[in-house]
Amino acid sequence: MSMALNTSSGPAFPRHVKITGEGKRLVDEGRGRLVLIAMVFAAAFSVLAVRLIYLTLFPAGGEPSIARSVIKSGAGVASTARAAIRDRNGVLLAVSLPTASLFAKPYMVGDAEGLADRILRILPRLDRERLVRKLSSGRRFVWIRRSLTPEQHQALNALGEPALDFKIEERRIYPQGRLAAHLVGYTDVDGRGIAGIEAQFNDVLARPGDAGRDIVLSLDARIQHALRDELSRAMAIFRAKGAAGVVLDVRSGEFLALVSLPDFDPNRAGDFSADARFNRATLGVFELGSVFKAFTAAMALDYGVVGVNGGYDATRPLKISRFSIRDEHGKGRWLSVPEIVIYSSNIGAAKMALDVGGDRQRQFLDRFGLTKKLKVELPEIGRPLLPRRWGMTETATIAFGHGISVSPAQLAAAFARVVNGGFDLKPTLLRRKADTDARGERLISARTADLMRRILRKVVTNGTAGFADAPGYRVGGKTGTADKAGRGGYNREAIISTFAGAFPMDDPRYVVLAMLDEPRGIPETNNLAQAGWTAAPVVGRVITRIAPLLGVAPKPADDPRVFRALKLKVKTKEKKLETF
Amino acid sequence: MSFSRQDDIRLSLGQRLLAVNWGLFLLIVAVASVGFAMLYSAAGGSYEPWAIRQMIRFAGGVVLMLTVAVVDLRVWMRYAYVLYGLSLLLLVGVEVAGTVGMGAQRWINLGIIQLQPSELTKITLILALARYFHGLSYADVGRIPRLIPPLLMIGVPMALVLRQPDLGTALLLAIGGVTICFLAGVRVWKFALAGGSILAALPVAWSYLEDYQKQRIYTFLDPERDPLGAGYHITQSKIALGSGGIFGKGFLQGTQSHLNFLPEMQTDFIFTMYAEEFGLFGGLALLGLYFLILAYGYFIALRCRSQFGRLLGLGIVTTFFLFVFINVAMVMGLVPVVGVPLPLISYGGTSMLTLMIGFGLLMSVSIFRDVQIPVTAARLF
Repeated sequence: MSMALNTSSGPAFPRHVKITGEGKRLVDEGRGRLVLIAMVFAAAFSVLAVRLIYLTLFPAGGEPSIARSVIKSGAGVASTARAAIRDRNGVLLAVSLPTASLFAKPYMVGDAEGLADRILRILPRLDRERLVRKLSSGRRFVWIRRSLTPEQHQALNALGEPALDFKIEERRIYPQGRLAAHLVGYTDVDGRGIAGIEAQFNDVLARPGDAGRDIVLSLDARIQHALRDELSRAMAIFRAKGAAGVVLDVRSGEFLALVSLPDFDPNRAGDFSADARFNRATLGVFELGSVFKAFTAAMALDYGVVGVNGGYDATRPLKISRFSIRDEHGKGRWLSVPEIVIYSSNIGAAKMALDVGGDRQRQFLDRFGLTKKLKVELPEIGRPLLPRRWGMTETATIAFGHGISVSPAQLAAAFARVVNGGFDLKPTLLRRKADTDARGERLISARTADLMRRILRKVVTNGTAGFADAPGYRVGGKTGTADKAGRGGYNREAIISTFAGAFPMDDPRYVVLAMLDEPRGIPETNNLAQAGWTAAPVVGRVITRIAPLLGVAPKPADDPRVFRALKLKVKTKEKKLETF
Repeated sequence: MSFSRQDDIRLSLGQRLLAVNWGLFLLIVAVASVGFAMLYSAAGGSYEPWAIRQMIRFAGGVVLMLTVAVVDLRVWMRYAYVLYGLSLLLLVGVEVAGTVGMGAQRWINLGIIQLQPSELTKITLILALARYFHGLSYADVGRIPRLIPPLLMIGVPMALVLRQPDLGTALLLAIGGVTICFLAGVRVWKFALAGGSILAALPVAWSYLEDYQKQRIYTFLDPERDPLGAGYHITQSKIALGSGGIFGKGFLQGTQSHLNFLPEMQTDFIFTMYAEEFGLFGGLALLGLYFLILAYGYFIALRCRSQFGRLLGLGIVTTFFLFVFINVAMVMGLVPVVGVPLPLISYGGTSMLTLMIGFGLLMSVSIFRDVQIPVTAARLF
């Protein structure tokens, strides 16, 4: 480049040669450009000046202003207070209270030490040294204490000190703290909802009106507490990065609990990391693994590509193009459809799905709401991640929940559609009338739904999820352990362990789902972190705690009705029948 | 000035100091003083924590500016490429240090001040481009191969800065660089062609973006989508401007800012605070001061006999203009929120350093305006 530059430009010539002809045109053009730049500068400054005039002479009306809202609440207009959010039993989850905050005008203070002592008699917890420094700073404005109690407010007012003044602010208070932080959400300093229910129903909550316009959630604080408590414990024991949990009424479609961990205190949401504020239950999408085998089995049975006594050869890994699908703890034999679910066979699930075919698989998952965003009253909803190309390989891996990512809440809703008799369901976060049956059209046949119920119970009694059992409450469900996809493939060390459970399986009423993000094994679990060891016990313990609250009575295992409702003959060899 | 200037003239240090454009100097001091007052006010009537440090920095900046000013313009041209190369190395350095795992480090610590290489690049890019175009005849400027080096000169630091990622600085570099190309005489149809092809390529590039990347661009274009962040700032800023009225609330009396409704008041949103306290007239007066500085710089550049000095001066003036315009337009809600400080007034060491070096170069252009520099001096070989 520079060589060419040297030869082509010829001998050096001075810049100031005769200015005629071409040269003169160039100079004129150069001037024009200079003038143009100057004009741009001048025009830009004129725009700034005009805008400044406009803004100062015609102040922004109609736009929300803190100053204005402070004046309003200062005048004590109670009816403008933001409405409260309650759980289904009326427990307050978010409420607005007018509180007074104390500030001083130090430039008006004469005797800083004396005033400090008088303040300290009412607010003994303040640091005297700092207080004196603040009061003698001579500044115009300094906060002394935010959010006083009414008694403190009155006593301070009675001091009659002109250098002290109060600002009445409306504070949004979340009395339950972290309990349902992700769900309830929080507001910004202007009192506008910016996350969760606070954001979703901001207009309703902010609309001035009479009492009784509170938002009542489907949530049950007691159940939420039990779920959160058990998940936190498991998260600590297995040193997991995060956790999520769901309790869903499979008939009314109401979410009774929705937990995401780590969580945060909405009273001071700004102090927490984005990770803590992230809603893993609804916004996070994960490959949830073998839980999908429940859908695969339901699909194969419903399309009739295989009967309940049919099965597949799972002796050898299944090769599809360059992939090889194997079983973690393979039985190395032919497996019937129930066994594929009970022992969680990848090979069997993949073969079932391939028999159904990719198109029909996609339609099936679509009907169960696993391919689109969950429709529920929250702004933080994650969009499922689906393969770009839905080929043979994808059909096979999706059969056991790899290559498709959905949110835990979405999975719980889909699972509810399998166990509620096979009906569509519109899930909600708002309380519905007691005993509402929100089930919609039939998605799978009554016979398939009935079989699935029995098979899922067998997963707990005979399969991978023994620890999910809650004696007397007939728990069923499906485990899922998925390697997390990371840079350049799957990471065998980082896993997602999930258990989607339901109870009582003779007549399912509730889905309980627990998910642990990157749990690590401990000696008591033989250093295993698979769902059966980590997520399943959480569900079992939660059910033991919440079933009495939900009015589900325990029944002995030999109760004849229960036995009949859950009996399932499982073929274990191609010919011979065996009864569990 | 009374000296007669020739190509080979050597000015003594005293002569050079005498020749410094003290009018421009006074204007700079005046604007900086407005800054001190506002930082004093932002702290609620206290020199701590901002005003005092800003004063110390400014004092250091003045020394730096005068030092830069008395260095011969030819020296600046000789080392233009070297300085440019060094700043690129620093940019690459922070990039490497950042990925090695020291966290996202955009800064280099120089003891009392921290230096952002991307800031320094704004100046060195102008130097390098000015030197490049100084070495070209008008006919050369018209040849397309000759446009490749300047495009690379602009593109490489832009790409590095974009990786940080700092879209605002990248745009400033691009606009500053392209302006110099324009002033150097690159044909208008080429700008039209480049602009047109970029516009045409946008929809294609858009379709290749992932969803989350599109989301980021939406948020950049429309900050109101982010109610806690930028949208909040702008709303509060407009309210504060409106509450100032014609004559303002008076020094230290701005309520929007003192009651902490206005965040970042000591940095990017300081103009709002100023306009709230000094009103429309104060605001216009400050804009007037800025415009005077611009005009000074512009005429200094025009008056210079060497192409290098002219382009350098205009490049610096343009960068200064962009700082002022983008910041003030941003706080008044005319352009999206990008983190550009208000020159000489916003609290911060890095932009102060860049500006003072820039003004120093501008003064150097002024002192050595009659020096003639042969075209060959700009060439590498």
